[in-house]
Amino acid sequence: MKETILSIPSPFGPSIDLLKFSWEGNSRNETISIVSGLHGNQLNGIYLCSRLTHFLDSVEAGKEPNYYLNGLINIIPAVNIPAIQEGNSLWSFNDLDTNLTFPGNKYGEISERIAATVYQHTKNSQFGIILKSANSHYDDAPHLSCLNLDRLTKDFASSLGPKILRGTKNSTILHLSLHKQWLEEMSAVVLSAGKPNHLDQSLCETLFSGLVNSLLWTGVLGNDLKKPTKYQLQFTKENNEEFIVSHSGGFFLPAVKLGAEIETGQKIGDIVDLYSGIVLEPFLSQSSGHLITLRDYPIVYEKELLAILLNKSKLSFWPFK
Amino acid sequence: MKSRIINSYQTPSGQRVEVVKQSFSSFHKPPIKRVAFVSGLHGNELEGIYLCNLLTNYLKKLQNTQPEKFLGEVHIYPSVNPQASAIGVRLWPFLSVDLNRQFKNTSGNSLARSSAETLIKDLKASADIVVDCHASNLHLKEVPQIRIIEGFHKKLIPLAVQCNVDLIWVHPPSPVFESTLGYNLNKSKIPTLVIETGIALRINQDFVSQLFKGMLNLLYHLGVIVTDKIQPKVNYPIVIQPSQVVILQSDFPGFFIANTDVKKNVSKGDIIGKVLDSMNGEILQEITAPRNGFLFTLREHPLIYPGDLLARIALKEMD
Ligand SMILES: [Zn+2]
Repeated sequence: MKETILSIPSPFGPSIDLLKFSWEGNSRNETISIVSGLHGNQLNGIYLCSRLTHFLDSVEAGKEPNYYLNGLINIIPAVNIPAIQEGNSLWSFNDLDTNLTFPGNKYGEISERIAATVYQHTKNSQFGIILKSANSHYDDAPHLSCLNLDRLTKDFASSLGPKILRGTKNSTILHLSLHKQWLEEMSAVVLSAGKPNHLDQSLCETLFSGLVNSLLWTGVLGNDLKKPTKYQLQFTKENNEEFIVSHSGGFFLPAVKLGAEIETGQKIGDIVDLYSGIVLEPFLSQSSGHLITLRDYPIVYEKELLAILLNKSKLSFWPFK
Repeated sequence: MKSRIINSYQTPSGQRVEVVKQSFSSFHKPPIKRVAFVSGLHGNELEGIYLCNLLTNYLKKLQNTQPEKFLGEVHIYPSVNPQASAIGVRLWPFLSVDLNRQFKNTSGNSLARSSAETLIKDLKASADIVVDCHASNLHLKEVPQIRIIEGFHKKLIPLAVQCNVDLIWVHPPSPVFESTLGYNLNKSKIPTLVIETGIALRINQDFVSQLFKGMLNLLYHLGVIVTDKIQPKVNYPIVIQPSQVVILQSDFPGFFIANTDVKKNVSKGDIIGKVLDSMNGEILQEITAPRNGFLFTLREHPLIYPGDLLARIALKEMD
């Protein structure tokens, strides 16, 4: 079902409409909410939602052999719709980060109303997935992250496909995020993949099959001939990360590929002078690990983040609480 | 006066962006109190920067002629987000992040975040009391006021009443404030006053000179500088709680046209402005004062969506 869950008239042009898509099977016990487009330029998640919508519509119409709807699935694909229509990360009318406005206020200004509506329509789910891309100027290897690391969340995460689950450090700023709000009520993860302002179709196809698998795992989707796969999941703790930071400004020319396993002492890249091309600073990794985030935009300032390495910890099993 | 660079970073083309601190030393050793003024966390809030300029000028002259008048130290950080101020934008350019949301953000790693850390470290090392000067955003015009988070009010109100503001607004804590400079300094037991005045990208001379008087009065009150002259009395502000704030919002999209200005007492029924249909000028909503009070916030940005804030009225007494 396609539903306009919030419509705010604009002084000029069309109204700002927030849409929700939902499918319901016979059992109301299993529920999941999938949300994307919290930032207007993170396109992989929005596209993934459109793929899921297409697929679930087919399931509903009986066109996907052996699949059937079981529980309730909600998808809100385009949260920050004004920013999406503007082609920006933030909506320039208020420059507010939508992911810092939760749980929102249904009587407030637009961003607060949007946040309140999204939260209201998703908070009763058992499971939640937020789809995003890397922050502006960066590229993320597909990975999951979560603030709350319990066993259920781990099992849920291992149904999604990406092989890495990052423990996120709790910070005050995250208290206003949808993820943090959701954790009061449900098991939720953030899936980040790719870069902003960019749609990576083949990456999305891989993620799509993982998402369908997780729908099977949660029980909202059924298929009597197919059991959900449990993917291998490597867990990294929040303090087990190496941040590689520039010490000069210029062009950053990476020598490594996103997602690669990096050895200690391996060259990450160079910073070269913007005018002369002279190498100002070669970067060698201080530790070994998985390259999870890489600077995508080549022009950098001093003291900027260039890469994040997830160090291999001895403890790659789940630390049970 | 001594200028010192507290933070700098190289741009992609090799120049350096510098954050400067101007310091006035104390004649009296040790200094009776050390006060810091910070502005420009939001790059387009120029009134705070201008207020710091007035203070620097005044204190420079005073120190050149009568250095013995300084019994304490003053440190002024006039532009802590210089690249944003250079182009008149609120957020840290290039990253689009709010510098005043980076002060207790343990997640991530960015230039804005490390700059915030450097700034708060320097402030903690050099000040006993801090004044963080903001203008309002691009949408709302504010009378000179100080906003205080409940819990810090006992320490802050006695200082805030010295600042010649029209209003002190004590509001409950919220996660929104927890990553700000003001909250984190107050948490670290360095009393910090957060001033809001005027509107972004403009300088209201009346408001800034009112605050300038207030900042000097605060320095006299704290004994940081002394004077032989009799000082004019400063305005004693209204101190309000959230229950004393009436918020007027728009029900429609369109234009907001104000009928009045801030810093006025309004009576119940007074017309504050109108919401007009932006396609044909038809009046959609007349905004009137629901109670008697003091108009301290008024929308300046005419473009509005439903729910947008149009005005705030402080009720002087609960009735
Ligand atoms: Zn500000």
